[in-house]
Amino acid sequence: MLSRRDFLKLASLVTASAALSSCAPVYRRLAGDLPIVPWTALSTNDFLALNRITFGARVEERARFAEIGLQAYIEEQLDFESINDLACDLQLSTFKTLNMEANKLEGISNELFDGYDREKAPNELRQATFLRQLYSKRQLYEVMVEFWSDHFNIFMDKEKEFFLKTVDDREVIRKHALGNFRDLVWASAHSPAMMVYLDNQANEKSHPNENYARELMELHTLGVDSGYTQKDVMELARCLTGWNVKEHFWLGDFVFKEDIHDTGEKNVLGLSIQPSGIKEAEQVIEMLVAHPSTAKFICTKLARRFIADDPPQELIEIAAQTFLNTNGDIKSVLRVILFDGLAFAKPKYKRPVNFLLSTLRMLNAETDGIALHEYLVRMGQLYFNWPTPDGYPDYNEAWQGNLMPRWQFSFALIRDELKNTKHNLQSLLDVSSTGILQDDVDSITSLLLGNPLERLARNGIIDSVRTAGATDEETLQIIATSIIASPAFQWR
Amino acid sequence: MLTQTWLPRLSFAPVNTAPRGDTLVVVFLRGAADVLNMVVPHGEDAYYQLRPSLGIARPDDSKKKKEERVLDLDGFFGFHPNMSPLLEAWQSEQLAIIHACGAPDESRSHFKAMELMERGVDDERGPASGWIGRHLATLNTGNSSPLRAVGMGTRPQRSLSGNVPVSALRSIADFHLGGDPRALQQMRASLETVYANDILGQETLSIMDTLQKLDPTNYQSPITNYPDTEFGLALKQTAMLIKAEVGLEVSAIDLGGWDTHFAQGSASGLMPNLMKDLAEGLAAFHADMADHMNQLTAVTMSEFGRRASENGSLGTDHGHGSMMMVLGGNVDGGKVHGQWPGLAEGQLIGPGDLAVTTDYRDVLSEILTKRLNNPATNEIFPEYQPVIRNVLK
Repeated sequence: MLSRRDFLKLASLVTASAALSSCAPVYRRLAGDLPIVPWTALSTNDFLALNRITFGARVEERARFAEIGLQAYIEEQLDFESINDLACDLQLSTFKTLNMEANKLEGISNELFDGYDREKAPNELRQATFLRQLYSKRQLYEVMVEFWSDHFNIFMDKEKEFFLKTVDDREVIRKHALGNFRDLVWASAHSPAMMVYLDNQANEKSHPNENYARELMELHTLGVDSGYTQKDVMELARCLTGWNVKEHFWLGDFVFKEDIHDTGEKNVLGLSIQPSGIKEAEQVIEMLVAHPSTAKFICTKLARRFIADDPPQELIEIAAQTFLNTNGDIKSVLRVILFDGLAFAKPKYKRPVNFLLSTLRMLNAETDGIALHEYLVRMGQLYFNWPTPDGYPDYNEAWQGNLMPRWQFSFALIRDELKNTKHNLQSLLDVSSTGILQDDVDSITSLLLGNPLERLARNGIIDSVRTAGATDEETLQIIATSIIASPAFQWR
Repeated sequence: MLTQTWLPRLSFAPVNTAPRGDTLVVVFLRGAADVLNMVVPHGEDAYYQLRPSLGIARPDDSKKKKEERVLDLDGFFGFHPNMSPLLEAWQSEQLAIIHACGAPDESRSHFKAMELMERGVDDERGPASGWIGRHLATLNTGNSSPLRAVGMGTRPQRSLSGNVPVSALRSIADFHLGGDPRALQQMRASLETVYANDILGQETLSIMDTLQKLDPTNYQSPITNYPDTEFGLALKQTAMLIKAEVGLEVSAIDLGGWDTHFAQGSASGLMPNLMKDLAEGLAAFHADMADHMNQLTAVTMSEFGRRASENGSLGTDHGHGSMMMVLGGNVDGGKVHGQWPGLAEGQLIGPGDLAVTTDYRDVLSEILTKRLNNPATNEIFPEYQPVIRNVLK
């Protein structure tokens, strides 16, 4: 492993030459090119499994998967801290705001020099999120980061969120994504970004605000209709009075404000709570995270993300039991969902992020991510931009019916029309090509869809493009484009 | 296989055949709009007691500046000052208001309430499709346009879901593939092939053709004051599609941001800005569509209302009863419909919320039967017996 000192040295090299890095990025020269290895067809199930635990399988991920098998591959991914992620880390090393404290972020957001302004922190966080999903070798970890970012959704366009979310992303989501659910809720409840987003900074003794209390039960833990009442919401809101955010010294840090805390007795979900300041809500949080409804709710959502829109009930039951037995150990729960569930996986419609990422990853594309921003906006899944606290929808129907930007993206990508973005279809074909058009088309479809098309379908596409007057080279390009644009590629 | 066997096969056999009726525009105010500050019951003393800071001053309250007072509508209700762009539609009797309107659900959860309302059902049971989706599926208007129903924005709304394909459309101007004519022709041929058995893809290709004939950059409207917002854009695109006669029957539009727990503003501020967007947008649309008003009905709705009393953060928490507006040439307008349940103690329900005296499905059913020629309300709103409230002529 690289020492921190070595890393910093490399990172400073990257920074120093960032301005010159237009075509052969320094981090790439330092960390090596994206590996290109030959690929073979995968079974439908294996291809599907691999695309659930990654943002779209790269050729070297396919090779590794074929070599060690599903179970070992998942174990390797779960042990994410052992995966060397140098290239990705180096690429992010120029993003200074990612590691800043709230106080500092607020300060630089008001500067208008040294390359900083109001847009710096949100832009870096969005770009970093994209680059991690694209380049990180810790794919399952990044998939879980995305999952929890939806579960504990925060909308960056509200007040101070544009810089507080950077801290939440680092200290809540990324810190605990494959840790323990209780710690995750605990961190989120102490996250200034969450306090601001759900108005708990306005929750005071003299006038309680129910917003966070409700969503903590409805969306973060128990789930709607799991037994709590309007009265429970109001009582929990009273417990949470005073959970707040510092406004001056160490601005943006969490603070418990004793003076606005409601000191009366409370009763939440039948539990009588004696006046004890910050401990009251902490006591409720402990009760919520250990509640069977929470186990079931979280496991249902995980199964929906990894397995199917309507996952098998039995799978949810056994995962929920593991959740309770392990006190919310996320890796243990994931093992159950993936090992016992993937055999029942049904196709999921790719959400926009997944569509873009799978295309870029499968084609070994290089990009700084900036050109993709516009596409995320037009497809409706810009990072941290979902206004309501339920997070981006995770069911197929929500995302169907907006094909046009997907077609536009595939057309523009293959023609190299996206700024600072280049696919590597040719280099990929170079390792496998026989020089025969039909074989190359088979290679492309195997790369993008797992296995080649039936002969008839393949020849049909080739004919249609040729009839429209394409040369062999154009034919390959257009076919790659239309495979990416095709109905089959929209599912994973 | 480019069209996988597990892709849903779409087929439907509408129960009714009728010529198409009005174009329906459904505006959903997401986040539970505080309707008590939009159409203010200024005749209620309780309103002012419950909202000492947020309440909008009575029309004759000389202690407040005129632009901070309610605009009286009928002696009891009045518009928030930022709703003033809608006065013209109100005075021309093309705008009706149904107050204390909403759904029976009392979860006070945005997500549950929105889902149930968009599905048009009482609880989790019942069809998963949306009420507009079932409207389209139960009425054969002989209209095969791919633009029959459009969700304005990046994703089709839940209310549109069902077995008639719908499209999301954010901007007509963006709806082209680009590229040089040669590459475009090849791409087009290839898309035709890979989408040969896929209805959504076929529709998208067909929309592309249809929209190519429009020229959005040169759209001439006598009205140029659509607000420069996503909502204004959505209404403007809707107007263009209607005028271009491309077969639009339903346009669904969202306007979000109404979850105002904190510092919502009284005469001005956060929520008044949203009202301004809403009112200016609808007023521009009303004026732009003046010649089409006889074949047009627009309706606004929200998942529930907000607590009658203000909270301590100068905002309002989740409540119950809401309000709907119906705009169109055949509306019994210039009237506040519905039975007003009152805001006094004993009249509020739950933790202190406006009661619901008109089910939202009554209003929608009347629009469906009277203006959209669809009598199948028992399928669109299963297990619900609508009461016709005569909101329409």
